[in-house]
Amino acid sequence: MAGAARSPRLSSCGCLTPFGNARETHAALVRGESALRHVAVLGIGGGDRVPLALLPGRELDDTNPPAWLDALRSLALSIPGEGWGSPRRPVFITGSNFGVGGLYALRRYGDPSFAAWGAPPSCAEQVRKMLGFGPDVSILSLACVSAHLGLLQATRVVASGAAERALVLSFDFLSPFVAGGFHALKILNGDFPAPFRERASGSIGLGDGAAFAVISPDEGDWVVEGQSLFNEMHHFTSNRPDGSGFARCMESVREAALGLRVWVKGHGTGTLEAGRLEVAAVVRAFPDSPITGWKGGLGHTLGSCGLVELAVALESMRCGTAPGVQEASGEPMAPAVAAKAFPTGQFDGVVLASNAFGGAHAAFLIRHA
Amino acid sequence: MPDPLISKLKQLIVETLRLEDIVPEEIPDNEPLVGGGLSLDSIDALELVVRLEKEFGIKIATSEEAKSALASVAALGSYIRARADPSRLPS
Repeated sequence: MAGAARSPRLSSCGCLTPFGNARETHAALVRGESALRHVAVLGIGGGDRVPLALLPGRELDDTNPPAWLDALRSLALSIPGEGWGSPRRPVFITGSNFGVGGLYALRRYGDPSFAAWGAPPSCAEQVRKMLGFGPDVSILSLACVSAHLGLLQATRVVASGAAERALVLSFDFLSPFVAGGFHALKILNGDFPAPFRERASGSIGLGDGAAFAVISPDEGDWVVEGQSLFNEMHHFTSNRPDGSGFARCMESVREAALGLRVWVKGHGTGTLEAGRLEVAAVVRAFPDSPITGWKGGLGHTLGSCGLVELAVALESMRCGTAPGVQEASGEPMAPAVAAKAFPTGQFDGVVLASNAFGGAHAAFLIRHA
Repeated sequence: MPDPLISKLKQLIVETLRLEDIVPEEIPDNEPLVGGGLSLDSIDALELVVRLEKEFGIKIATSEEAKSALASVAALGSYIRARADPSRLPS
């Protein structure tokens, strides 16, 4: 469990999804749209068709250089400020898979240049150079809470005064390697995901996603508080069945939100067991708060999801409407699950939570400054 | 006379998961495979499912279906018998 000593602010945040930027993504989700489409799980290798949300025009198969570089570059154009990657303006690059698809492509095509993208350090180094960052770049990866980890480190260096600003850049773009892994686990199957809904069997979707956040000591309308990161260390692919990990993670963020009216953006991938445990923990910690989650429309953007969904949450607060969970069959797992878009004007802030393989849980609160 | 499919499944479990110090006949028919006496976990289950799909030409679609199929060796036998082409079953 960890938390920042002071409460820095979120001075800028943006994202890129198959719907577009944060504003376009938010609008599409409010309309109840889904970017997920059935795609052969191994790309040109075929296989079962599974729900994936790819950036417009992008194929699942890896190319060299990666086809997602232009998208990442276009997102980076909206990052304000300069001098990123210097000691006083460090960058935290986070993701779950980086260019791991390159390793699979190397095996498929035999072209050794694919290897340059296959590991986090080499991939991040190429991205650093492409975006013109200086050398003060850290790489953080902890599966689907990677972005939360980057946000936590960024707020720490700003809160301590070690940095005047910090940038978190998070991205995960799909590849047959990643899709095939989830498919082998049987949680990525032919069904579209229905997060936080009771069904006979669970299923997830996967999506391309990238996002950034700039942390500042005093600029911006939103304060980041109650950051929590807790790892159950229970098992590689499962949570403690009593849900204690979810509950433990909610403790510090619940304390930070005392006296505030908040809504909750949960993780909600579409798997049943984790969904039930998460909803139960959220209802216990925030009994009066609506719960929503957007992976039914975006797919799970993996290591970038914490930041992608933060950008959508901020847009929700700005516009006064938060998207509900995707329309689907199956009853919501609790009355608090927001089946439809809901107004946010009455709330002081939003709690954002993500969960990851290995029983890693993360959450934080964003409230009005 | 032991059921040839059940015997085959026990043999596959030991082979696939490289279970040392366990002979196939020692695996009980009706005890849970995952989380039971064999101490199999979800990664073992993944390996086993991949092997079973190849061996018997079946498709296990969801994690819930996999969990149900792997409830025990007996349950697995019933699951496979109901879905596999009979020509792929041991006689």
